[in-house]
Amino acid sequence: MDHAMRFAEPDSIEEVLSLLAADPEARCLAGGATLVAMMNAGLTAPSLLVSLRKLPGLASIDPQADGAVRVGAMARHATVAAHDGFAGAQAILAAAARRIGHPAIRTMGTIGGSISHADPSADYPTAITAADAVVEIAGPEGARAVPADEFFVDWLETALAPGEIVTGVVVPPDATDAAVHYEKFTRADGDFATVAAAACVALAEDGAVAALRVAAGGVAPTPIRRREAEAALIGRPLTEDGLAALGAALADLSDPIDDMRGSADYRRRLLPRIVGRAVRRAAAAFTARSGARSGTGPQAGGVA
Amino acid sequence: MSADGDAPTSVGLSSPRIDGAEKAGGKAKYADDLSAPDMLYGAIATSPIPAGRILGYDLSEARAVPGVVAVLTAEDLPQRRVGSFVKDETTLARGRVRYVGEPVAAVAAETREAAELAAQLVLVDYEETPAVCSLDEALAADAPRVHPEQADYARQGDAAAEGNVFWSAEIVEGDPDAAWAECDVVVEEVYETPAQYHAYMEPCSALVEPDLGGRFTVRSAAQSIFYLQGRISEELDLPMARIRCVAPRIGGGFGGKNGVNVQPIAVALARVAERPVKITLSRSQDIEMLRSRHPARIRMKTGAKADGTLVAREAELWFDAGAYVDESPAVMSFGLLCSRGPYRCPNVRVRGHAVYTNKLKAGSFRGFGNPQATFASESQLDALARRLGLDGLALRRRNAMAPGDHWLGGQRVDACAMRECLDALEARMAAEVPALPPPEEGWARGVGVSGLSHISGLMGTSAAVNLRSDGTVALSTGVVDIGQGSDTVLPQICAEALRLPPEAVAYAAQDTDSSPYNWKTAASRITYTAGRAVMQATVEMRQRILEHAAELLECGVGDLELAPGGAVRIAGSDRSVSFREVAARAFNRIGGPIMGQHAFAFDGPRFDPKRAAMSNFAFDNLGVYVFGAVGLVADVDRETGKIVVQKVWSAHDIGRAVNPQSAEGQVQGAVVQGLGYALLEELIWEDGRLANPSFMDYKIPDGLDAPAAITPILVEDAPEETGPFGAKGVGEAGIVGVAPALANAVADAVGVRLTRIPMTSERVLDAIEGRASEAPASRTA
Amino acid sequence: MTAELDEDALVPLRVTVNGRAQALACGGGETLLTLLRERLGLTGAKRGCNQGLCGACTVLLDGQPVRACLTVAATCADRRVETAEGLLRGARLSPVQQALVDGGAVQCGFCTPGMTMALTALLRAEPRPDAARVREALSGHLCRCTGYVKIVEAALAAAEAQAQKGADGAAAGDADARAEGAAP
Repeated sequence: MDHAMRFAEPDSIEEVLSLLAADPEARCLAGGATLVAMMNAGLTAPSLLVSLRKLPGLASIDPQADGAVRVGAMARHATVAAHDGFAGAQAILAAAARRIGHPAIRTMGTIGGSISHADPSADYPTAITAADAVVEIAGPEGARAVPADEFFVDWLETALAPGEIVTGVVVPPDATDAAVHYEKFTRADGDFATVAAAACVALAEDGAVAALRVAAGGVAPTPIRRREAEAALIGRPLTEDGLAALGAALADLSDPIDDMRGSADYRRRLLPRIVGRAVRRAAAAFTARSGARSGTGPQAGGVA
Repeated sequence: MSADGDAPTSVGLSSPRIDGAEKAGGKAKYADDLSAPDMLYGAIATSPIPAGRILGYDLSEARAVPGVVAVLTAEDLPQRRVGSFVKDETTLARGRVRYVGEPVAAVAAETREAAELAAQLVLVDYEETPAVCSLDEALAADAPRVHPEQADYARQGDAAAEGNVFWSAEIVEGDPDAAWAECDVVVEEVYETPAQYHAYMEPCSALVEPDLGGRFTVRSAAQSIFYLQGRISEELDLPMARIRCVAPRIGGGFGGKNGVNVQPIAVALARVAERPVKITLSRSQDIEMLRSRHPARIRMKTGAKADGTLVAREAELWFDAGAYVDESPAVMSFGLLCSRGPYRCPNVRVRGHAVYTNKLKAGSFRGFGNPQATFASESQLDALARRLGLDGLALRRRNAMAPGDHWLGGQRVDACAMRECLDALEARMAAEVPALPPPEEGWARGVGVSGLSHISGLMGTSAAVNLRSDGTVALSTGVVDIGQGSDTVLPQICAEALRLPPEAVAYAAQDTDSSPYNWKTAASRITYTAGRAVMQATVEMRQRILEHAAELLECGVGDLELAPGGAVRIAGSDRSVSFREVAARAFNRIGGPIMGQHAFAFDGPRFDPKRAAMSNFAFDNLGVYVFGAVGLVADVDRETGKIVVQKVWSAHDIGRAVNPQSAEGQVQGAVVQGLGYALLEELIWEDGRLANPSFMDYKIPDGLDAPAAITPILVEDAPEETGPFGAKGVGEAGIVGVAPALANAVADAVGVRLTRIPMTSERVLDAIEGRASEAPASRTA
Repeated sequence: MTAELDEDALVPLRVTVNGRAQALACGGGETLLTLLRERLGLTGAKRGCNQGLCGACTVLLDGQPVRACLTVAATCADRRVETAEGLLRGARLSPVQQALVDGGAVQCGFCTPGMTMALTALLRAEPRPDAARVREALSGHLCRCTGYVKIVEAALAAAEAQAQKGADGAAAGDADARAEGAAP
């Protein structure tokens, strides 16, 4: 029932926060792709929509002095997808953004809206978890920063306290200059992932794994990572056995559900396969890139 | 022949759609685009439970919502049950509810928000009763009855109703019991097909305007204005004279808008409120309230000689019909009729059952029972070919029907290009399959084919045509264009019969006040039956034009011929009169325009009781048959089970393509709808409730899911003598063989045969890895 | 529906729709689709699902395709909205619209305006896309009638016709022809 729904479009974060503080039924409006769909379905009826569109600096993507990149909460998926200022593992954000929904959704949806909704089958949560990004939060108690893997708490639940909003995502610099691949398995084009994996891979001159970060989505209430399993592959050539071990470690941590996109059993079976693809393709991209840069490249880009 | 030869002026030309510009320009008006002064919005309260008794209503909260003008329940409506085969339905649930989503009450209010809120506040006291939400549950020995009062319903015939089975039918030819002994090989399998949602892009909608004389004008999403008028009349006990149905633009139907949807409810509200009422369903309501394709289980057995000659076929079909009979006897009967397929096979027994369950109605849907039967039949032929080490196309060609053969049931088939379709398909695939780029690493490629056939005909139709004073032509029929193109194709037929270009024919909008009768836009019938009526009406008018021209030219009618562009001349001379001159004379002499009219119902060969024993069959006679063959190349990801269809070829015995571009569009659209059925689409119930009533959860193919290459092959080798310029229908045929062709391609690619669709990636992976599938069609707690 | 709106919740809105500046008032949660269809009578954008999943309501907002059903109208303040009706020049169809008609890409037509807007945006940004780019731009636009083949072919034909016209126009110094493809 939108007849009582009010609308505000403040131009300062302070005003946003005070509106949210004054009305627990108020909701922030970012791109609208999720919130308005829920309103249209009668699933939610906020008393007040607080549009973030006019907030300064929230829509831009800005390089930081230390090599990090700050993606404003209101940056559209299409903007992130096309951004060429990411280096190394940071680029996993663009790779994931390119796979979100459809073109018109990518011109509307924002990274802040997506991660605040915290659907584990969505693309950004997995990507920013793999990138070790930090979520910038503003709230009545001031600003704070929460690492991605602490930000996602449970299915559709984040570390945001009442009255807090996401203002940006800071993606740290990647000294290893990894190549990335976002592998997404869906039932149909543009759907949320049945299973997805975000991989950032760097290889040494001899082909051994120099750096590896992998997050999986769609298989648990939040994106999942196994850092110790990633570490176990460092310093050795990429092998099918190694990938299988990583996949198995992630599968151990997974807790998938049955839904229209597939049964829990199917997701468990897909998980190591999708992870393997993501890592192999990231490694191949690394090799191809090194080859293009140096004319030679690591000896064993593929899987031994 | 005349100097300008026989070059067609209209038929065979790919004329752009008459309605194309207004649609592309955003100006076309569909029902929800219309409004009326002082209009109210209607909303429908639906059952939240799959089965239960209605003990009472509390409408006080709903009525108290500001802006609410009317709230109706079954108690406010005439006490009657309606239905074509069994009178088991009411406009709003009366006494019992039988599926989640069934209309129970209706509200009209000043705003949509108020109407929706009030609908939510309609309080119904239900006593929940046990539900049956699958074939197994419905067929169990002690199953609760979906319609305990079934014995009291008025119905056509007794149709062997028992328990939740409300209609059983059978066709027997030859001696199937004895024939198995003659077979060198026999294959037997059980096949399962899903509830598919039509997913027309326009959700159902109706605008009803009452006038002060007690008449209601209905503009709505429907595949027939006349069926609608009759049904509203029956449901609401209103004479047809008080109901005027007008067709706005219709955003697709595919059978889903074949019956009534929200129109009777909207009329009932407008009648009480004495104001215009519009009801437009949300997408989720459209899915939960209306109809799906029948989910089916088919046990089929086929026997053949070692050379591939078919000897015997047995099949038993169970069609899950949902909560009301609707058109199920016809759909199931037609599935039976298609269970032999377009092949010679002398010994056949097919038996079918339509079964009540506590789910939304299953109704007509492009293919009308045939896709289910053909999935079983063509999968089985492929399994047979593999067992015998024969090529699939060769096996089909060996058994393919030819002109003069008889369809199952004994109807003689005069025009049939089945073999030509198989040949054309084979030639194209032989040339084009090897040229495709190879599959990705880890993917296995398969090639699959299927024969296909369908009906074109059914029921009555009519057309009227007259010559205007300027020599142009006015045509009217009662055919509703739901997107398939009849507004373009029917004038093309009329124009050709007069040697005019298509634009010389003005085609009237459809309105029960003025249009000649037509049954429905269904059964691939319009080009054939309405086209024939248009043709005959035009021929009748043409004869009168010639008679007037003969008097003007002072010659005999036999000396005359039509010249292209609207003139009559003495053959072999340059003496002519224009249609304008002829028309002017007619207005003088007979006081009005030269007219022609014709009514048509299929009058060709019928079932033959000497050839086949048929019991409880829901049709008298049908129409002509169309034939075809479809082939495709599919790649299967062995690691995930994902199927990607690379290319599809679909060959169709169309008789004559009146508008080739339009016919191609029908085929391409049907192929993609068939791929959705084969790969992706399945309504799923959990605890009696639909679990996926949205495009978020129920996916249909988009442009990246659909193959980039779909090649229609229009075979015009066998003109249908009784059709207009040799034409017969192609609206449904394209969907019929797609699922089995894909199952056959998957078997070719990875060596396992899926007998259940949709072939989701999960089911494919389960099959590849030899696991029993956990992917459910229905779950109950 | 406008009549019953809570006056306090009405948001004044200045927005340019199809080149015409409009001063309106809308509900706080009202979508652009409702505004276009029910307030302005522009029914070219269709309500196929109201969930952003079918594409039939797609319009251009500042030149970019968006789902009107997911766009809160109040966020369109001081922005530019284009709908299928806005591509018409009198009774003349735009090149994309004409190509869809000529190419047999219109059947029931319910998805057509949304497809038209997505293709219009694509051809403005990329005058000569290949078939893969066209399919990408049309992804998320559901069509149940055509199987998409003729829509993609029509889009390529529109690009070809536009390029041809642009070349001819340039040769003849015809600025009007070039303007066809340009954003206003």
